[in-house]
Amino acid sequence: MKGLFKSKPRTPADVVRQTRELLIYVDLHAGSRGADPKREEEKMAELSKNIRDLKCILYGNGEHEPVTEACVQLTQEFFRENTLRLLIMCVPKVNLETRKDSTQVVANLQRQQVNSRILASEYLEANKDLLDTLISGYEDTEVALHYGAMLRECIRHQSIARYVLESDHMKKFFDYIQIPNFDIASDASATFKELLTRHKATVAEFLSKNYDWFFAEFNSRLLSSSNYITKRQAIKLLGDMLLDRSNSAVMMRYVSSKDNLMILMNLLRDSSKNIQIESFHVFKLFAANKNKPAEVVNILVTNRSKLLRFFAGFKTDKEDEQFEADKEQVIKEISAL
Amino acid sequence: MVRGGSMRRPSLALAAVSEPAAPEFTLSADDYRLMEEVGFGANAVVYRAIFLPANRTIAVKCLDLDRINSSADDVRKEAQIMKLIDHPNVIKAYCSFVVDHNLWVIMPFMAEGSCLHLMKVAHPDGLEEPVICSILKETLKALAYLHGQGHIHRDVKAGNILVDSPGVVKLGDFGVSACLFDRGDRQRSRNTFVGTPCWMAPEVLQPGTGYNFKADIWSFGITALELAHGHAPFSKYPPMKVLLMTLQNAPPGLDYDRDRKFSKSFKEMVAMCLVKDQTKRPTAEKLLKHSFFKNTKAPQLTVKSILTDLPPLWDRVKALQQKDAAHLASSEQEALSMSEYQRGVSAWHFDIEDLKAQALLINDDDPTELKEDDDSARINEGTSFESHFGQSMLLNGNNHSERTCTTAVNPGGNGPETSDEFASDLGNADSPRMVDGHIKQGTENDSLSSTSKQGSEGGNRRSEVRQRQRTFSGPVMYSGTRSSSLIERGMQELDHLINKRVTREESMILVVRFHFQLVLLQIVCLPLFGLLEDMWAPWET
Repeated sequence: MKGLFKSKPRTPADVVRQTRELLIYVDLHAGSRGADPKREEEKMAELSKNIRDLKCILYGNGEHEPVTEACVQLTQEFFRENTLRLLIMCVPKVNLETRKDSTQVVANLQRQQVNSRILASEYLEANKDLLDTLISGYEDTEVALHYGAMLRECIRHQSIARYVLESDHMKKFFDYIQIPNFDIASDASATFKELLTRHKATVAEFLSKNYDWFFAEFNSRLLSSSNYITKRQAIKLLGDMLLDRSNSAVMMRYVSSKDNLMILMNLLRDSSKNIQIESFHVFKLFAANKNKPAEVVNILVTNRSKLLRFFAGFKTDKEDEQFEADKEQVIKEISAL
Repeated sequence: MVRGGSMRRPSLALAAVSEPAAPEFTLSADDYRLMEEVGFGANAVVYRAIFLPANRTIAVKCLDLDRINSSADDVRKEAQIMKLIDHPNVIKAYCSFVVDHNLWVIMPFMAEGSCLHLMKVAHPDGLEEPVICSILKETLKALAYLHGQGHIHRDVKAGNILVDSPGVVKLGDFGVSACLFDRGDRQRSRNTFVGTPCWMAPEVLQPGTGYNFKADIWSFGITALELAHGHAPFSKYPPMKVLLMTLQNAPPGLDYDRDRKFSKSFKEMVAMCLVKDQTKRPTAEKLLKHSFFKNTKAPQLTVKSILTDLPPLWDRVKALQQKDAAHLASSEQEALSMSEYQRGVSAWHFDIEDLKAQALLINDDDPTELKEDDDSARINEGTSFESHFGQSMLLNGNNHSERTCTTAVNPGGNGPETSDEFASDLGNADSPRMVDGHIKQGTENDSLSSTSKQGSEGGNRRSEVRQRQRTFSGPVMYSGTRSSSLIERGMQELDHLINKRVTREESMILVVRFHFQLVLLQIVCLPLFGLLEDMWAPWET
């Protein structure tokens, strides 16, 4: 008898629709006065369960791998309406476990393809204000890690990364990276790095257009930071950016500046060996530049004996042939000036 | 810029926390007073500390960022996972911030330290079954939670199971945990080589296969044995041998004579975890429903019994450290590393530095060290073909490996001065001339004769060849494998690793090579051990 009344199993689209209804309810009623607390609790629990179900469909569970067809259905229904917006807006209203589940659902959806289209990318392009919300999440400890993780997935889409790069938000990252909460600051730092290294052509264009303010901030706030990890990550990122072939024009501009050289030479003397080594990988570009401007040559010549003495004792902990070869080259260049 | 004091961690209003609500921890080192050292790992020290504004005892893990060469991403992920933990059986981080070049992670203080510690201090031969049962159940709840979140802990062991005074049990240390859901892309499995050898699942050691959260279930089974005996199986062997034994031997279990006192359901539960085929291992969720955990007593009741009359944690830590210092003074440096290894102090990453340190432990000139005391005491019941097989292999294996070990030792010893040259030539995987090389060279090889012999074959290769020959041993063992230089080479390496008469640098290089060429060694393992079977247990094949 029981079997007769058993409800039909829900399809992935059903789960999405129910989730959406519950999100609408929570978005309207959560925390508002006059709401029935018991009813609200029930709805909240139901929402948590539905979001967990979405996660299970997308990722599979311990026993089963995800099913492509189910993922496609889910994705189609999800982006048919404003579910993503609702889900993002409700993050501050749901409990910690549901926040984490929501983050994983949003992250996964960025990769789901439906007929070789990425619906998430198209949706975000039409709803760019959502990125503003995600970025400003870094200012709220409650949601920072969830919004941060979602954001990093969204900027996998080139058009979305371009939007963020061209927005005023880029300036804010210099603050976010230095938030004292390590978990949040390092998250912002990871996003910043992703923005500046993932989409080569877009990054090259951004750096050329925004060279002046960007490197002024980069030098004064990150490379000169008193925070060890900020400094170390910044110098590593600088090396990654400048050594990338697509950024060669930016690199030439950077290594032709006396001020940049001075900052790098100071970093070479940092008390941390790791920072010294990373700095060397940028410093070597100044020395290897075939068209060194006079001001750069002047500094190198003035400090020639000191530099040579420094490099004589400059070694990596582990043997590194490439490093030794680079060092020889730099010594040769400086000696020949 | 936001100042340290103003960025406070909001209390988790929505989370049901069983402990007293955490105060709002600040992000300024001045607000914390570090007290005694209560734990240490490869790159971190854990202190008991007081959070002054609330006069609350907490633990501070100080991670030296300047000593961490892996990407900052790993540190970030660890900090974030710990921050977002909300489960009564998992250690969470209240907050974390940078002080000089250290990362300070503020965590709850677990006043009784780890289970490993407790055993070292008062229960060297393991714990009673009811106590083990409650500890394991709490740990399993933690694993079920972590796995549900997509995290693999990757370092489950008694040393990471922490106990607080009222008998609260929590799983800690996420130094190596990885997220399967990471970045939205469900990676089917991870391919990194991380963990502590004794607790590592076979698939973690196997290249290419990848592994998932079932690796934690294996480690959980090993941890059960650890709690029952006071140490993990194989813990007396050098790491490289452990790796091979895990791959080759039958899974360990509760089948020694002295394990008679344990219940059938306990033995069965352990056996379910320690199945080599990861797909046959139960999930943490399923395991919680096993009959062994049916009538588990609350940890507050059972764990209390092992906590009576103990000095405070920091004194215990100090005593253990002093014991090590005495150990160091009385024997060689390797002894300390060995004891550290046995105690289960693991590094977080199985990286070069770590391997280098562990390679130092390779030291078993003393045959008694090789002998796992319990192996000979295994009950000779042979309940299944597999266990019978494993047992005879093990018994024979030990005796023989000792013998081969002694014959394999190069009487001349290996001069460390050659290791650099050795390092310079890592690329010649299967140059055929080596075949002749080893076969002609016997155990009595010395570097001089081999050098002169190979001199004509090209100077640049000479040193490598010389090194190879010197590490070559036991001609009998290799007689059947002439056919393939690849196998020869791998066997040499294995032999080298197993027989351990190597200098520090050499073993590091070998180990590094081992790391990168696991595939090669895989290919090699099978014929080698097939051969050993021939020699030692012909009736099995």
